[in-house]
Amino acid sequence: MRRIPWDIVLALVVGIGLGLVYAWLISPMKVSNATPAILRADFKEQYRSAIAAAYAATGNFPRARSRLELLKDPNPEDALNTQAQQMLARGQSGQAADQVAALAHALTLGIEGAVPTSNPITEAVNQVEETNTANLEPASTEDLTFVGTETPSALPTDATQLSEATLIPRSTRTPLPTQGTPFKLTGKDEVCDSNLSDGLLQIIVLSSNRRQMPGMEIDITWDGGENQFFTGLKPEIGNGYADFVMTPDISYTVQLAAGSDIATGLIAPTCQTPNGENFHGGMKLTFQQP
Amino acid sequence: MKSERSRWVFIVLALLAGIGLGLAYGWLVDPVDYFDLTPDTLRADYKADYVLMIAEAYRADPDPGLAARRLAIFGSQSPESIASSGLAYARSSGFADADIVLMKELVTALQAWSGISP
Repeated sequence: MRRIPWDIVLALVVGIGLGLVYAWLISPMKVSNATPAILRADFKEQYRSAIAAAYAATGNFPRARSRLELLKDPNPEDALNTQAQQMLARGQSGQAADQVAALAHALTLGIEGAVPTSNPITEAVNQVEETNTANLEPASTEDLTFVGTETPSALPTDATQLSEATLIPRSTRTPLPTQGTPFKLTGKDEVCDSNLSDGLLQIIVLSSNRRQMPGMEIDITWDGGENQFFTGLKPEIGNGYADFVMTPDISYTVQLAAGSDIATGLIAPTCQTPNGENFHGGMKLTFQQP
Repeated sequence: MKSERSRWVFIVLALLAGIGLGLAYGWLVDPVDYFDLTPDTLRADYKADYVLMIAEAYRADPDPGLAARRLAIFGSQSPESIASSGLAYARSSGFADADIVLMKELVTALQAWSGISP
């Protein structure tokens, strides 16, 4: 019986170990075919911004949705909303944040054309696309070659196509909130909760379909002062939530910058704990787009 | 003596074979899993689609400085070069004519762009 050549086996094992150390640690395979899903978080944000900017320009919802799916966010709508809020909080371009928020909104509603555009060409493109949605829906999002070639076939390139496009009736759309529609003050309640900060003014802004709306500017004025703040900076409470601490015995007036009913005479109410102790309660306002 | 030498030859050969096996496994069979990558590592079709996104946005907001900043995520290459690479890929991969037109507009604008925003 031949004995096992342990020295040779040992050399083989050491060699494999050295090979693995080199391949995994010293010189790993250079990546040149990464997908957007494994980009660093800040680059993913820029990728989302680019998707939103392209969507704002073209209104091509199926294409925007396919691109978002490449990022493999667990919930693309939340990712977009959170990003829009963070962009506002960081003082980045309001237009870019609006584009991201608009895409989130369109995603929520699941419809295309949520971004108004003054470009007649993209308007015509939208019309063509709406009539071809069944054909344009991407079956897979892994291969961008497909995404890149699916919808442009519908792009009108000459006047004849444009004129044909305008003859096609539009499909039914869900009405979208627009900045021009004034918000209604649908709730104005005193809140006596000793667990909250004294004089806490809570504001919730809802769209017409009762979705919370981030990034809404709120103007608050009082005798000798004014301030502005935004919804969505406390996403853990709600995307359409904002708050402000009122000083007792001062009367405040609140209005949405986008246009709304004016809530006047807002004063921190005097409340009592079950022990009979007095404290200043808060108020809760709800604005909703009709 | 001869037997001793041949034994060392086998040991060295085993070591080299092991290194080869290790490299093959580490590079081909089970390469390192990557995450938190930079955009320059994206596959060519994703890069081209990113350029297309910027071209689409540029059509609505013709600000070459903004487009250049958006393309700058790809690293040290010039924006014009990045856009040109995307355009070349789009042409070779059969992107729609309308998309290619958009990308050409972007490339032309970046070629003319001085790099200094007005």
